[in-house]
Amino acid sequence: MFRKKHKKQTFVLNTLIEDNKEPKVTSGKIFSSSKSDFIEAIKHKTHSPSDLIVKTISPTITVVYVDNIVDNQSLNKLIIHSLNQINNESPEIIKDILSIAEVDITVDIDKSVLAMLNGNVLIHVEGYSRIVVAKISSYEARSLTTPENESQVIGSQVGFNEDISTSISLVRKYILNPDLCIEKFTLGAQTNTTLSLLYIKNIAAEEKVNTLRQRIESINIDALLDSAVLAELIDDNSLTIFPQMLLTERPDRFCDGLLNGKLGIIVNGSSMAILCPYAFVEFFQSREDQNLRWFLATFIRILRFSAVFLSVYLTPIYVASLTFHYEVIPQPLLVPLSESRALVPFPPILEALILEFFIELLREAGARLPTKVGQTIGIVGGIVIGTAAVQAGITSNILIIIIALSALASFTTPSYMMGNVIRVLRFPIIIIAGIWGYYGIMLAFCLILVHLLRQSSLGSPYSAPFYPPRMIDWRDSIARLPMPLISNRPKDTRTKNQDKFKTEPVKPEKLDKLKVNE
Amino acid sequence: MKNTLEISPKDMINAFLLFFVITTCQTGVGIQGFQRLIYADAKHDAWISVILAGLSSHIIVFFMIKTLELYGSNDLYGIHQDLFGKHLGNLLNFIYILYCSVAFFLILENYIEVISTWVFPRLNPKFISISLLLLVIYTFLGGLRVIVGVSFFSFLLGLWLLPVLIFPLKFSNIEYLLPILDTDIISILKGAQSMTFTIIGFEIINIIYPFVKEKDKVKRHVHLGLLVTSFIYLTVMLITLTYFSGEQLAKTIWATLSLFSIIRLPFIERIEFITICFWLIIILPNLCFYLWAAYRGSIRLFNVSSKKFVWIFSTIIFIFSLFVQTRIQINTYTTYLSKVAFILVFIYPVVLYILALMKKKFSGKYGEKNE
Repeated sequence: MFRKKHKKQTFVLNTLIEDNKEPKVTSGKIFSSSKSDFIEAIKHKTHSPSDLIVKTISPTITVVYVDNIVDNQSLNKLIIHSLNQINNESPEIIKDILSIAEVDITVDIDKSVLAMLNGNVLIHVEGYSRIVVAKISSYEARSLTTPENESQVIGSQVGFNEDISTSISLVRKYILNPDLCIEKFTLGAQTNTTLSLLYIKNIAAEEKVNTLRQRIESINIDALLDSAVLAELIDDNSLTIFPQMLLTERPDRFCDGLLNGKLGIIVNGSSMAILCPYAFVEFFQSREDQNLRWFLATFIRILRFSAVFLSVYLTPIYVASLTFHYEVIPQPLLVPLSESRALVPFPPILEALILEFFIELLREAGARLPTKVGQTIGIVGGIVIGTAAVQAGITSNILIIIIALSALASFTTPSYMMGNVIRVLRFPIIIIAGIWGYYGIMLAFCLILVHLLRQSSLGSPYSAPFYPPRMIDWRDSIARLPMPLISNRPKDTRTKNQDKFKTEPVKPEKLDKLKVNE
Repeated sequence: MKNTLEISPKDMINAFLLFFVITTCQTGVGIQGFQRLIYADAKHDAWISVILAGLSSHIIVFFMIKTLELYGSNDLYGIHQDLFGKHLGNLLNFIYILYCSVAFFLILENYIEVISTWVFPRLNPKFISISLLLLVIYTFLGGLRVIVGVSFFSFLLGLWLLPVLIFPLKFSNIEYLLPILDTDIISILKGAQSMTFTIIGFEIINIIYPFVKEKDKVKRHVHLGLLVTSFIYLTVMLITLTYFSGEQLAKTIWATLSLFSIIRLPFIERIEFITICFWLIIILPNLCFYLWAAYRGSIRLFNVSSKKFVWIFSTIIFIFSLFVQTRIQINTYTTYLSKVAFILVFIYPVVLYILALMKKKFSGKYGEKNE
């Protein structure tokens, strides 16, 4: 509250100073009816940038716009051409004459300057303080490409891009429904970033929409450059390591979420859309699971979950077993283990940490390097460093296998954000396993479990559907049962409309009978 | 009756979760080595003692729930205050809080004892108790929902331990059980009494009752939970009795863990190392629920926030744990607690029910008016 009041005061001060400096310029926020004053006011507001174009079409009509962000073709054809044919008409008539979809009349300076910076053309007529604002913006946008961070074998191959209107049009393409609600917000005192809140009325719960809307509105931020920042600003607990909202660049995953009663946010300038509330388990589900046969999908999901478990616990178990509990390892396995470790001078915990550090280094280098060099680094890192490390006696063969396996496993997570967390989570557990053995691993396991139980995502429990137990939702969590069995929407989004589809199976004989009847 | 606890629906739990609460509260450190104690009294008829103990737990829970139903939505502490007046009621509440705290303390000590005997003989027990207490504090501060969640996962994740106990059956000898009813009935009853420390935990229903959403379903789920625990105890007891010979069992302190230790799999040996560490998740709900029960009572006596309470409580527990040095001490305290618990859990609820019923009869007029 305090901040807002403060801002208003400074604004008043600013306008006062303006008045003192240039008494000619309009008082307050309203345009003057004189042409030169109008141009002066615009120039003053924008500090006369070099791409500001002021065009006098006839002695009475002036057009102001910013070069580079307006579509030149429509400027010539639709605006200048039609304005040339008239003479000293009122703004209302000009508004009717222009064959442009988004035309508006305003008297507000700030609003019209913002609109101009957003690709609008301002048309001023001598003698009127009202001006016409016509939108003919054209931004350079990347063309649609395949989503690179979330690739998928079976399913659509299109991803969101940085332009909000393209992204929304993709969603509209998937969900042709009047109930799809889109609410527009503007955030960022400096950047004035537009963002849209998307949900399907009657499927998304009203109270969740209200909560999210309130959270977005209460943000008081300077700049918003990416949706990831927004996701962190509106989540429930910013101290936790786990992401509570999904960031996806796949429109089909986004729409699937909306259809399950989740809420989505698309931020202009970011190719990642936000989906929430999102439960922990859902981060490990891929949209592709719905496209595969249920048996295969279940198998792949179980594979993915065991991969997560392996990725987090395999190295700690190795460290704990070799440091404290070698009794647990059967003799036939103990012999090759100790043979491969015979030359290694470090204790297992140090050995594991060094190798994990190597792998993380490789991954980070691979992500930052240009794609052409990246492959080379993979070969250099994977083969050369790996074999050399074993030959030099820094690590054992078996640990290299374990580390490579757990690094591979961590990349099976369909959400990059969650995959990162899974990888980082390993380090503290390795350390605690090196200190307290299996007891330490169990302690860490319990801590993570309790931590997950304590989290929530937009007020929904993060550990759903396991706890609070909603057995019905278990059918589409770790397993993915056949379609007729998962005809309900998940319960934790508290949707009003429970049925995804009618479950009556249509048998071929029935269809034949129907045809006969017709 | 008038004083009822008002609990917001947000903090309430579903009735069927009581099943998990009851089973996880009952199974804890006791199951690791209860066989020897019962065997000492009931000899090879110990399994009959287990059945008897299970049966009596059902009867007692029946009385407990009856008492709670008289009050609608209130816990044991509120009932005490209503029945015995403020001062005597608060004294009884204090005794119950003390009982919960001692139970918490002994579960912690027993577990630390197991860890330091089997897994880390040279590790300082202080570290284990500090780490465990911190974990418990973190869980407790999440509120009842999180504690119940831990007990839910503890049950599901702990299920794999039961099928593992099939392996010792290979070496079992059914003749050890014969002849049945060889021991006299008094010894068998004594054996059932020795089950006390192992089987207690279900008295949490006294405290958790007002937090349950569907009060009419409480009975079903609690009794189901008791049945499952009794079944688990009976199975473990039968396997132990058929596996160990009499003399062996009399000398085995942690019979269940010894059962685990003979299992060999192609990729894993000495499975008891894993199970003992895994036991952490089994005792975690135990600890949290006793702590929570003590907290619920304490807020009626003093004006403390949950954060303050849990830190003070843990500090006291930690200081006390510094005084415990030997296995014999822990054993003695556990025997004492077992005796107190027998009175508090197995006899007192019946008395309380009769008192509550009498009060209701005498003040019946008022009660009817209110209704």
